[in-house]
Amino acid sequence: MTARAILGLAALNGAYAVLGVALLWAIRGLPRWTDVLRLAGLGYLLGVAAFGVVWTQLLVVGVPLGGWGVVLSLACGTSAAAFAAVLLGRQRPRGFGDPERHASPFAVLVTAAGVSLSGLLLEALFRSARLQGLQAYDAWAFWVPKGKAIYFFGGLDEQVFTTFPGPTYPPLVPILDAASFHAMGGADTITFHLQFWFFVLGAVAAIAGLLYRHVSAWLLWPALLLVLTVPRVASHLLVPQADVLVDIFFVVGALLVALWVRDGRGWRLAGAAAVFAGASVTKREGLLFAAAALVVALAASFGRRRVAWPSLVAVGALVAVAAIPWRLWYRSHGLGGEAPSDAVLGGSLDRVLDSLRLSADAFFDTTLWSVVPVVALIAVGAALVWGDRRLGAFVAALLGLVFLGGAWVTYSYRDIPITANESVNPIVRYTGALVLLAAVTMPLLLTSVWRSRTEEPP
Amino acid sequence: MFRRWFSAGIATRRLVVLFCAAVLLVALAVRYPDAFHDANDTARANAALDQVDRAVGAGNSVFPDQALLVEARGLIPPDESFAVAVGPPQPGWTDLTANGADLFLRSFLLPRRLDPEARWIVCVGCDRNDYPGADAVWEGEDGLSVLRRES
Repeated sequence: MTARAILGLAALNGAYAVLGVALLWAIRGLPRWTDVLRLAGLGYLLGVAAFGVVWTQLLVVGVPLGGWGVVLSLACGTSAAAFAAVLLGRQRPRGFGDPERHASPFAVLVTAAGVSLSGLLLEALFRSARLQGLQAYDAWAFWVPKGKAIYFFGGLDEQVFTTFPGPTYPPLVPILDAASFHAMGGADTITFHLQFWFFVLGAVAAIAGLLYRHVSAWLLWPALLLVLTVPRVASHLLVPQADVLVDIFFVVGALLVALWVRDGRGWRLAGAAAVFAGASVTKREGLLFAAAALVVALAASFGRRRVAWPSLVAVGALVAVAAIPWRLWYRSHGLGGEAPSDAVLGGSLDRVLDSLRLSADAFFDTTLWSVVPVVALIAVGAALVWGDRRLGAFVAALLGLVFLGGAWVTYSYRDIPITANESVNPIVRYTGALVLLAAVTMPLLLTSVWRSRTEEPP
Repeated sequence: MFRRWFSAGIATRRLVVLFCAAVLLVALAVRYPDAFHDANDTARANAALDQVDRAVGAGNSVFPDQALLVEARGLIPPDESFAVAVGPPQPGWTDLTANGADLFLRSFLLPRRLDPEARWIVCVGCDRNDYPGADAVWEGEDGLSVLRRES
């Protein structure tokens, strides 16, 4: 660990944030500096996703990734986004304050407490990450070697990418690892854990910033803090694998789509397209998550399908365009596909029921997720009865579909035993996305119930 | 205000929200201190390790002696390749040595590439007679050594 490595990582992640904020300026406009601050976390994730998606395609066509390549791509991407913003007539941010939200002293106090508690926890995680050795099997067995291969050899080295375990796993995380090695000045597999700390920081900022205008602070912070501290999430936040990042991309994308279902603002879909594309080249289930969110969004926007569906189809097409080249690359190198042995039918009914039961057990396991799933289901039910029913139905359908997706994974890969043992069945890892989604949509649902006027007396 | 609150179902739905918030707060009050302490404990444990322990990481669970990894990294030039030869398990090996040594070395020694015909051989309890003419450049305990043969 050196100060130079930490500064390099901070600069790299700052550059991701600048790229993403420039993208937000282009697609949304940022009229005030308050908007820039509020959406900086979302901007950071958009920057990470855009960088990873673009470099996935570049590596597939053989463009080498080097230190200057990282710098140039970030600089060119930021310039292009800023140029697009100017072309689209976006004004430069001016002034502070938030005319769309007048926070009460109580809300300010709760927000200050939430930010302080998050900050304390993140500070402890920072100290933990900066001196962390590489321990997790998947991390040293293939995620990090792939990152090292891109760093040392400049591309998708055939020996490493085809003979190490998990050869079909997409390369976004190894690309980000390689970029962090360049930023640190070497393949420092200790300090690079901080890269995963930055993802967590960005996710907390993105979720809080996205929800700030839409939910009450006293409903936002308990849910957000709790999901960070539940045993399974807290113990895996900094593991240098793709699981946390794919969950973050999916949940932030789903949140953007949920808000779009409510207000129809097009920039939210553009943002969702970027993070879903990122998810599709982060892990295989990223494609499944993105497809589930888009299918539910199609159903939720049926009433305004003429306007909404072309946009959703465009998002789906962009995700597909991002995901396909990597699949073509590994197929062209003789690797088998990701398709399961019993994709639809062929397994027994017993296995279907066992898979569903295993998914339910994993979701409601309070030793892993505390009370998050139970409270989330109450929130969904309350929203369906008293609150924003369309939002409630969207969240319920998405949770249901992703839940079924997990059961389908266990059912369809015949060699996966019916067990929650993480070394042989990915269901617990997979369920993390479901729990994170439940936690971040909970404040939206509960706020809609609290503020609902449907049953108030005239 | 209270009349309005308790009329026409407002109280019910707000009580549900308050109940959810209360459950979240209680769970947070239980979980936050644990998560905070765990993160601090991990930070302290990591800080207590020396630089080699951190750099080797999971290798400490795979190999009986981390010196093999340090020596292999120091002796084999980064632009050269290496072979891995694993023999039958020996006393002192961990459960992971026999099956995990090859993969860990391939990961740990990058950018050095794996090549069965390489000049450098990382020997994990191997039979040296299989490599006639190879000299031991470094030898440790538990059958661990780094060999070099003429190219």
